[in-house]
This record gives sequence, C-alpha cells and structure tokens, in this order.
Amino acid sequence: MSQHPDSPARSNSGSHCGRVWVIAMHAFTQLVRMKVFYFLAVFAVIAIGSNFFDLPQHTGPEVSGIAVLSSIKSWSLGTMTLFSVVLGIVATALLLPKDVEDRTLYTILAKPVPRVDYLAGKLLGVLLLVFVSLALMDVLMSAVLQIRSSMILNQQMDFAQGRGWSAAEIASLRGDILSQGANASLQGAVFAVFLRASIMASLALLISTFSSSTLFTSIISFLIYFIGHFQADARAIFLESGAAGTGPVTRAISLVVSLVLPDFQLFNVIDAVIEGQAMPLLILAKLTAIGLFYAVFYVIASWFIFAEKEF
Amino acid sequence: MADATPAVEICGLVKDFKTSFRREMLRAVAGVSIRIEAGEVYGLIGPNGSGKSTTMKALLGLVAPTAGHCAIFGQDSLVVDSRRDVGFLPENPYFYKHLSGAETLRFYGKLCGMRGRVLEQRVSELLALVDLESARDRRLGGYSKGMLQRIGLAQALVQDPRLLILDEPTAGVDPIGSRQIRDLIFKLRERGITVFLCSHLLEQVQEVCDRVGIIFQGKMVKEGRLEDLIAIEDQTEIILRDASPELIARITALVASTPGTELVRSGKPRTTLERLFLRETLRDEP
Repeated sequence: MSQHPDSPARSNSGSHCGRVWVIAMHAFTQLVRMKVFYFLAVFAVIAIGSNFFDLPQHTGPEVSGIAVLSSIKSWSLGTMTLFSVVLGIVATALLLPKDVEDRTLYTILAKPVPRVDYLAGKLLGVLLLVFVSLALMDVLMSAVLQIRSSMILNQQMDFAQGRGWSAAEIASLRGDILSQGANASLQGAVFAVFLRASIMASLALLISTFSSSTLFTSIISFLIYFIGHFQADARAIFLESGAAGTGPVTRAISLVVSLVLPDFQLFNVIDAVIEGQAMPLLILAKLTAIGLFYAVFYVIASWFIFAEKEF
Repeated sequence: MADATPAVEICGLVKDFKTSFRREMLRAVAGVSIRIEAGEVYGLIGPNGSGKSTTMKALLGLVAPTAGHCAIFGQDSLVVDSRRDVGFLPENPYFYKHLSGAETLRFYGKLCGMRGRVLEQRVSELLALVDLESARDRRLGGYSKGMLQRIGLAQALVQDPRLLILDEPTAGVDPIGSRQIRDLIFKLRERGITVFLCSHLLEQVQEVCDRVGIIFQGKMVKEGRLEDLIAIEDQTEIILRDASPELIARITALVASTPGTELVRSGKPRTTLERLFLRETLRDEP
C-alpha cells in the first residue's frame, strides 16, 4: 500500500459546499434505498382515481368539466401536501437519531466535518428527496390534467358551438377551462407545497437536535404544523393585547408563536390556484423568501444546539 | 530534524457527566494525562466504565473536557482541522447498511475532500489491505462482524491519517479476524502510523503495543513501556530446543550449587489457545 504524504486529503479537507453535498447525496440515497418512492404508486392511484370521483352537480353542463379539473387538482395537491409534509418531518426526524444510535455519527464527526455541514447536508438530502418526489407527482398530475382538460375542451367547444354561442363567449369558456389546466400557476402552487414541506423539515431538524427519539420529533413537528396555521391569530392577539386586556401569559405565548413560526395561512394561495385563480409572481417570491428565511433560521438554531451536544 | 510534536497530548483531562434524573455529576475521567509520540502504538486498558472511551471521545472532540485539554499533533481537539490527521474506529460500529464496501469508503473519502482517480485508487488499496476485495460491491447489511470491523478500519484509514484511534478493534471478532486486525496494526506501525487503541484482550495489547496505560475509575493507575511494566526484574528465562535430559540435569545441578540463585520453574513452554486455534483452523487453507 502506498502512502500519500502530500495527498489532497492531507493538505485540503474539501470545501463546506462539497461536504454538505456529499452528506446530502448520501442522505438522499439512504432514503431512496428505504423505498420511500413506493408512495408514488399510491399517488398515481389518487391522481387517476380523482378523474372518476362522482361530484354532485349543482351547476349547468357548461361548467361540469371544470369541476372535474378542480377536483383532480384538489386531490392531487392535497395528497402532495400530505406526502411532502409527512416525508419532510419523518425523514428528518429519522436520520439524526439513527446516526447517533448506530454510532455512524462518531465516524463522520471524527473526520474533518464541521457539525453545521453535517446538519445542512442531512436537511438538504431530505429536501432533495421531497423536491424529486413532488416533481414526479407534478409530472403525473400535469399529464392527467392535460389529457382531461383537452378532452373537456373539445367536449365543451362542441357543446358551445351546438348552442350557437358567440365567439366571445366561446373564448371566455376556453379561458375558464385552460385556467383549470396544467398552467404556470399550478407549478407555482406545487413549489409552494415544496416550500411548506421545507419549512417543516427544517423545524423537524431543529427538534431532533434536542429530542431523543424519532417519535417525539415527529409528534411535536406535526403539532407545530397545526399550531402554525394559527400564527396569524397569535400575531393579532399580541398586537391587540394592550387594548383587549390580554393576560401576560397569553401575550407571551402569542409573541413566541408569532415570532418562531411562519404564518402557514399564507400558503392558502394554493387553494386559490385549485379554484382556478392565477398565482401572482409577487406572492410566490414572498413565499420563497419566507421559506428560505425559516429554513436558514431553523438550521442556525439547530447548529447552536448541535454544536454543544456531546455523544 | 525530527518533529518533536507528540501525536497525542492529553493534559489533566477531567470529564463530568450529568446523571439523568438526579442532577449529580458523574466523574468519568479524573485528571488523565497521556502523551503518545509519533510512531508509537499505545494501548489503554481498563475495566468497563473506567473512562477509556470517554478519553478517546474527548480526544476526537466528540465530548468537551470539563477541565484539561487534548491535542492531536499540536492542534486542539475541539478544532475541526485537528481531525484531518485522525482515523477513528468506534466500538461496535454499525455503518450504513444500504451502502456497499466500496461506496462506504468513497463516502468517507469524499468527506475528507478526496475525489476522482485518487479516491478510487485509495478505495481499491484499502479494500485489498483489509482483504475485502471480494465483498467490494456487497452491501454492508450482509457483512459479518469481522468484515464490518475491517471495513471500519479501512474507513478510518481512508485519508491516510498519521494517527489511528481504535476503540475495542477486535470486540466480538473471531480469532482469525482478530489476528488479521492485529497484523494490520503491525503493518501500520511499520509505516510509522501512530496507533492509540483500547482493548479488553490484554494478550493482543501485549503483542502490539509499545506503551501501555492502565486506567481505573477514571484515573491512570499505571503507565509506561510495556517491556518495563511486565518484566520480572529478578528472574531470567532461558528457552532451549532439543535439550537432552542429561543437559537439563547438569544445568539444574549447576543452579543448585550456585549460592543465591534459585530455580523457580522448568518444563515445556505452552502455546496459547489462540495460537492453537489458528494453527488448527488455518491448516487446510491454501
């Protein structure tokens, strides 16, 4: 065996980005080999099955097709939200305690790997998995929507022409149908789903740095996800606390909730997309900024705790 | 001029842990000092719970000392860069089961900044060194305990460190695997790599170590060169081959007639059970 006294390993232990990427790709591979992509089969069944859900007809035949498209989006985005949040939380909650339990963490931290690189790598690996999963689901959903919307478009155009509608009315109907199809706003909504899952995965990372089990991390993360939907209310309570005579405990809780958690109600814009409304770029940019801010904030907080942790 | 910086310098290491329920402090290590020169093989021995693993963890920066300090080649152990020159094999390691042997070494090599052809060459070298070339692409989930220890040793060596820290390297390994690991340590010593190990197998420690420290209840109770520690100063051993009974009788008579000298024991030296096991089990191997 030859010795490398001046090997690159000795003179240069690599960049932060390089190490983070190595750990991220490893975490991604680990999760993929746990066969998490099997759930895509469940999603395929839901996306295709939502075509055949029998919806109650309260409207005329000219909008019945649109309701089906809305149903496909609603079921698909709902399933995407569920899968991405569950995957983001559980996968993150699983990886850290598993490394500690199996002592693989010792061998990693015994290499020249700063603890923040390890944390960031693990999170990035989970986010990569969530992103790839959502992208695959998005492709499936868009394909189903595309096929179904073109079928509905042909059907409705024949219906409108048969009824002798004017060109303006037909164009309006075409616009209504296309707004429910696989458009840019829908891709924006999927990205918003990803951002929400990213925030939850980062939060799970923070909890897992001081939690002792995957179960505890997962339960607390889901609880916080639920509480996050009341962030706007907590902020309102805090801001109005002086006038309303709110007690100091309520005031403190509302302050903590409104500072530490993002306002998940901002993500209600996804529901608007399901109803056929366009997603303004400004809103998407705002959501991206919020997602980035909380992901970075939670990673830094995780680092502070993890840096002091003893194994 | 030779580098006088010691490979390991542990000065007055104290480590206290909080117990789970009572907030009393448990002192795991109480003022241990160890200095290991570059190229030495040092064995730390002691009963379970005596503070061996905690001392090693403190040296690797996995736990922060309550008092005292640890340094590797002059660099404080709490600094990440001090780990560039260290390879570590923890006790009973479980590596990622979903990776193959080669993938495991690639992963650890990349963590040390190695890439491309240099890394691939290193992976092949290490798999050959630890005799796992045939299991190169097999997932670690299917490895035996001895194979896991050997892949663990290979990952510890991936960046060609100058210091190797081995926590119970032969724990749970059969005598053949244990002998392979011992031979590897010999090879590493020949190459000038410093080895700091702790083991319960005292015979193995005796075989491979230049210096030994005995730790008990967190304190170093005995330390020194192995030869000095185990030599019985007032006795001399002569081992003869094919000596006739007459020669033995003459030597015995000579000793008896010399004032102030006493024959303590004579007879046939015994092999160890380990050597017997190895001789019998390896006899049929090609």
